[in-house]
Amino acid sequence: MEHIHDHEHDHAEHDHDHRRELLAEIVKTGLLIGLGLYFVVNIVSGNLTNYINERFSWLSYVAAALFLLIGGFSALHLLSQRRAEHDHQHDHGAISWATLLVVSVPLVLGTLIPSRPLGAESVDGNVSITAASVDNMVLSIEPGKRNVLDWLRVFNATDDYATLNGQPADVIGFVYVEPTFGANQFMIARFTVSCCVADASAIGIPVQWPETVEQGQWVRVKGVMQTGDFRGDAAPILHAQTVEVVDQPEHPYLYP
Amino acid sequence: MQNTAKFELRRVALIVLLLGLAVIVLAAVLGTGEDAGTIISIFATRFLGIFIEAIPFLLLGTLVSGLIESFVSADDIARWTPRNPILATIAGTFMGFAFPVCECGVVPVVRRLYTKGLPMSVGVTFLLAAPVINPVVLVSTFVAFGAGPVLIGRFIITALVAFAVGLVFAVAARPQDVLQPTSLAPVMGGDGEVIPLYAKTRRKPLLVGLRDALNMAGDEFFDMGRYLIIGSLLAALMQTLVSQDVLLALGRGPVISVITMQLLAFVLSVCSTVDSFLALAFAGTFTTGSILAFLTFGPMVDIKSTLMFAGVFKRRVVLYLILLPLLLTMLIGIWLNLNIAF
Repeated sequence: MEHIHDHEHDHAEHDHDHRRELLAEIVKTGLLIGLGLYFVVNIVSGNLTNYINERFSWLSYVAAALFLLIGGFSALHLLSQRRAEHDHQHDHGAISWATLLVVSVPLVLGTLIPSRPLGAESVDGNVSITAASVDNMVLSIEPGKRNVLDWLRVFNATDDYATLNGQPADVIGFVYVEPTFGANQFMIARFTVSCCVADASAIGIPVQWPETVEQGQWVRVKGVMQTGDFRGDAAPILHAQTVEVVDQPEHPYLYP
Repeated sequence: MQNTAKFELRRVALIVLLLGLAVIVLAAVLGTGEDAGTIISIFATRFLGIFIEAIPFLLLGTLVSGLIESFVSADDIARWTPRNPILATIAGTFMGFAFPVCECGVVPVVRRLYTKGLPMSVGVTFLLAAPVINPVVLVSTFVAFGAGPVLIGRFIITALVAFAVGLVFAVAARPQDVLQPTSLAPVMGGDGEVIPLYAKTRRKPLLVGLRDALNMAGDEFFDMGRYLIIGSLLAALMQTLVSQDVLLALGRGPVISVITMQLLAFVLSVCSTVDSFLALAFAGTFTTGSILAFLTFGPMVDIKSTLMFAGVFKRRVVLYLILLPLLLTMLIGIWLNLNIAF
């Protein structure tokens, strides 16, 4: 609720309102610049791809620029106001503390919690072995160069999985294991992100490998495709020859 | 002071609501079996994902609305509107391309246009259509959903509903039946509490205008941003804590999914420039008809626009402005769910 400054307005109260407004303006300016810097840090560190499809990273450049522009402007305004011991002709009311608190939430979460992409713990329900989108272009990609998404599209485009038998595969993903999987089976999984993590969905290829693997670990699996039984259905299974532990790739998600 | 009492009550209600939410979240975290650190990390990633993708559009939207406020006077808009009522209503549907305002910016603009003699029907159509049918929302919806049924459906349904509701007012409405007495009075009258008035009608010099536009963009960012942030927090919470099975049970029903998403749109009150990114969080589990109902009904009617309607229109008209879009988008959403396989 904004006070209407009438003539009987107490002088001390007026001063109090004035100080409160100034403080709110300072916090507001700090938040705008802070959010701008948060975007800059995300862009520079490459953490941006933990959150959104790389195709839209230019939008974050725009956001960083606009935050710094509006925030810088607000700072200038604040400085000139203090010098001129301003005339109190605000046409905008001071922002409430509740609003400032809410707007600080992303900044607090973004700086205090280490940035991490979605991984094996975020899988809810199933890791899909069929791709949502069909793209026959993938058939022209050499089998050894296909990523997890390319392989799923190949599965979609193939009537008979047996035609894939013997094709070499070399893919990177995180390990996903569930009790329902057969002995010596895990999935090599990735999240696909079209826009941002709000639409993330997990996809993966079943892998046959005799040794135990750690849930969520990023691995590179080399082997050959061979039709087999996965959770009671016939499915193309990657029979691994080597499973190598690797660092999380720079772009953790695949972009359909 | 009655005002203070009301304010205190609101504050208490807010605190109770937040505490209740905190208890639910805590119970859900303890119930999932994953350790709390992991859950918080996943939650933060999902929340920041929506936030980072949506923020550029929110900033652009507030900047545009600041520029309009600085450089376009209501007289200009009134002068460009056709005289024929049907043509004018059609023009009202697409006026958002010239003035990209979201649902929060549109009410004050419409109110000022009425004082310049804009026909009732055109104002109503503009009010309902402009938050969706404008370039900023076109791009943000495209970024979120690509060029597909959601993008096309959102624009066609909004245009149809806005046009239809506008025509209802073209038949019968006289200004004194539609508007609050305060809005009928010259611009400078009226109460400034609910709706910020546009005090300046003279064109400003370029630099002064730019300065004011940036200033207003900053303030409006906080005004709109809080709805986006609260909405994104809830969407991220839901994605992190509510299991896929529960969501599917609710989201697969052709009728219940539409009603759920409309209720959500009303309560969350997220700005139309960024609501596509929230809708994305539901796109995997909810029917396309319900996603479209969310994306068409929300920009027309939500908590904050209802409050603003009440400051401009008579109570009976406010009721029409809520119920007609509600029923029309609901029927269209359900019809799409039952008849079209997306």
